[in-house]
Amino acid sequence: MQRSIEMIGISTVVVTVEPEETRQARPPRALAPRGFVAGHTLGRPGDATLQKRILMDALGLLLGPARPGEVIEQSFD
Amino acid sequence: MADPGEAKPLELSRYCVPFTPFAGRLEDASICIVSTAGIRTRDDKPFDTEGDTTWRVIPAEAEAKDLRYDDSHYDHGCVDRDMNCVFPIDRVRELAAEGRVGGLTARHFSLGYSQALRELRATTIPALVREIDRERPGAVLLTGG
Repeated sequence: MQRSIEMIGISTVVVTVEPEETRQARPPRALAPRGFVAGHTLGRPGDATLQKRILMDALGLLLGPARPGEVIEQSFD
Repeated sequence: MADPGEAKPLELSRYCVPFTPFAGRLEDASICIVSTAGIRTRDDKPFDTEGDTTWRVIPAEAEAKDLRYDDSHYDHGCVDRDMNCVFPIDRVRELAAEGRVGGLTARHFSLGYSQALRELRATTIPALVREIDRERPGAVLLTGG
């Protein structure tokens, strides 16, 4: 799906908790918060500060150098 | 004599990564959230958790506490307390209010769980991508379960 959206000219970024699976899908831009599991993509419930930090880092990939196909793994401790 | 294979349309290789450069500034971009976590508004039709190739629309003004999920494949410890864990609509609205992103598109989208990959690829995703395009997003944020 991410690839299909890029194909019509819209920039995308995915936040994934399954970096290996996502890497195989060759994503245009992907952020994987390290150690998070499915259902906890944006971290802890009610932790707005952490959730927004992850979101801004993910959206920040739109501004950085192109790294198509890569999954950027990052710790948010 | 021409190779009969030449008439076939070229297909994107799985090794090729389609990439649209982001133009402009985040502060001006309207963000569209697209999820596969089975999220819907309270009054919308539930997803079939055993397999569902339809999607639901979530309006920009929806609050996370008023959203529901239909899923039996990821851990629900987080979403039971805060839907922003997989569908961060309150957080993106806050980022917009803080001027860090331009805003939100009017409509956001969620798919449910499905293993019907052929149908997803041939029918569901092309139709959903057309709907996403109609929102004219500055960028799309995708989240899984």
